[in-house]
Amino acid sequence: MSFSSLIQTVDLCKSYDNDGVVTPVLYDINLTINRGEFISIMGPSGSGKSTLMHILGFLDLHSTGKYLFQGQATASFGDDDLARIRATRVSFVFQAFNLLPRTTVKENVMLPLLYHPTIPPSEREERTLKAIELVGLADRKDYYSSQLSGGQKQRVAIARSLVTNPDVIFADEPTGNLDSASGVAVMQALQKLNDDGHTIILVTHERTTAEHAKRIVHIRDGRIVSDSTDFQRAIAGKTEQLK
Amino acid sequence: MLLSDTFRASIRAIAVNKNRAFLTMLGIIIGVASVVLMVSIGKTFQSYIVGLVESFGSNTMDIAPKGFEKFGGNLESMTFEDYDAIRKLSTVERVVPVIMVAKSVKYGKEEVSPMVLGGKKDIFGNYGLKLEHGRLLDDSDDEGAKSVAVIGAQSALDLFGNSDPIGRKITIGDGSFQIVGVLQTMGSFLTQDLDKLVFIPYATARSLSGQKYLSYITLKTVGDPELAKQDITALLRQRHKITNPTNDPDKDDFIARSAKQVTQTIGTVTLGLTLFLALIAGISLLVGGIGIMNIMLVSVTERTREIGLRKAVGARSRDILLQFLFEAVSLTVTGGIIGMVLGAGFGWFLTRLAARFLGPLTFILSPSAILMAFVMAVGTGLVFGIFPAKHAASLSPMEALRFE
Repeated sequence: MSFSSLIQTVDLCKSYDNDGVVTPVLYDINLTINRGEFISIMGPSGSGKSTLMHILGFLDLHSTGKYLFQGQATASFGDDDLARIRATRVSFVFQAFNLLPRTTVKENVMLPLLYHPTIPPSEREERTLKAIELVGLADRKDYYSSQLSGGQKQRVAIARSLVTNPDVIFADEPTGNLDSASGVAVMQALQKLNDDGHTIILVTHERTTAEHAKRIVHIRDGRIVSDSTDFQRAIAGKTEQLK
Repeated sequence: MLLSDTFRASIRAIAVNKNRAFLTMLGIIIGVASVVLMVSIGKTFQSYIVGLVESFGSNTMDIAPKGFEKFGGNLESMTFEDYDAIRKLSTVERVVPVIMVAKSVKYGKEEVSPMVLGGKKDIFGNYGLKLEHGRLLDDSDDEGAKSVAVIGAQSALDLFGNSDPIGRKITIGDGSFQIVGVLQTMGSFLTQDLDKLVFIPYATARSLSGQKYLSYITLKTVGDPELAKQDITALLRQRHKITNPTNDPDKDDFIARSAKQVTQTIGTVTLGLTLFLALIAGISLLVGGIGIMNIMLVSVTERTREIGLRKAVGARSRDILLQFLFEAVSLTVTGGIIGMVLGAGFGWFLTRLAARFLGPLTFILSPSAILMAFVMAVGTGLVFGIFPAKHAASLSPMEALRFE
């Protein structure tokens, strides 16, 4: 086990128990993600890629196997530990933006800082404005979320995800609800964050979106079918698997 | 999350849904207003009645035949000899025998039916009645069984309008009486309008009514009223040949009751009545609380994705719990404050209205009513807010984010 790895899973499995009916979703996931990587998790609908992202992002718990975050086993984490990690170490960009309604850009971006245990209230304003500026929405900071276009909303969500300076940003189909021009702008914004040293884990089923990543993990029927830093080989690998 | 941030988030959530918040608060507003109104009105009237009783002097005591309140002044158990014996006791003074005369009072074509009381001069002092003009009855009126009368302010107005009644003659039953004095306005005591009373000398009343027994005796106690009561009770039992070793009031044929006792009885009755009314008003508060719970549950469902998002960005379950609990309590406390103001305002208005008929009346907004209303408002918020808040806090972030 290398301590330079940010995320490491060993034979990680996930199944849902619904009134005694057990439905396996992920099988023996072995994955290591290092700090500063930009990784795409690709796969068709129902492949388990979102479930994997939820587990890696501490929104859900795995059933068996190991999940090590910064070398630390997470199985024993309680609810408050998980909340603390979500507040300080990870952040999310969702397909549906998930901005608070009837709330301004500034208030939306500031939201994670309210739950951050160590960033003092006096720093909130400065950090928020800096994050908004980074995504190019400084002139829209007092707009309500309903006054923004889809692309702008997703950039607000990106600003919100980086305001706490997390170790890793999870983006779940971030361009899924956007037109292609807005999608490109959002991906460029994520690319820039990665260039600045942020680890990005992107979940998508769109090839054009996945192309922005430096590493592609294919997942199908709950199993990793390929993991490559060569995009062409990764696509080829996927095609081979499909055959 | 800092408590101040949680509080701000709660207020913000209420502010974006002003109409719904107001409708939700309406139940609490009505409930708290009713409780404050009932308790304040109860206290106001309690204080009014107690004040009236005490204006007679807390050492005033009436001794009446048992059943006097039901059957009026014609019961045959209290004799003039009883009066004579009682006045010799060392624990009493200003003992007055009273005969009630059931006759109508006429002046020209005007006829009224006041309560006509025949008594000795101290009756005015015992009841705290004050002279407006003319004179009160004195010993010579009684000794000479004179046909003179002192009338209450309302009776004077009813019979003579604005003209001066002094020296005029009125007819009581078959007798003609000269008015020698008019009393000051006193208002009502319980159901008795004191301003309608007409007083004539005791001896005159006795011959006018032909009564052989006293309607009742009124006196002032000297020292402890309880001691005087014991003396009178022992004396009357002896005189009426009543054996009552167990001190059972039901066996006596008389009732001795001090103003203090009446005050205590009234206090107990009005307190009971106030609490009963407040309890009924409290039911509307309960209904309001259920309304709060209902709306909060709807709010949790509506904001499931928001809860998921807050948890995804680091909110702990207790942050969510507190936020929703603060929302419920903020609604009930705001509703409580509005209800308190409305209840107090309406109570004040009703008191002013009642004062037109009852004379001077001071509205009492008791601190206990305010405290009770505040505690109930906070309590309602906590009790009915905890279930929706716990429900919100227990949501898994992933499931909440996926909620459609």
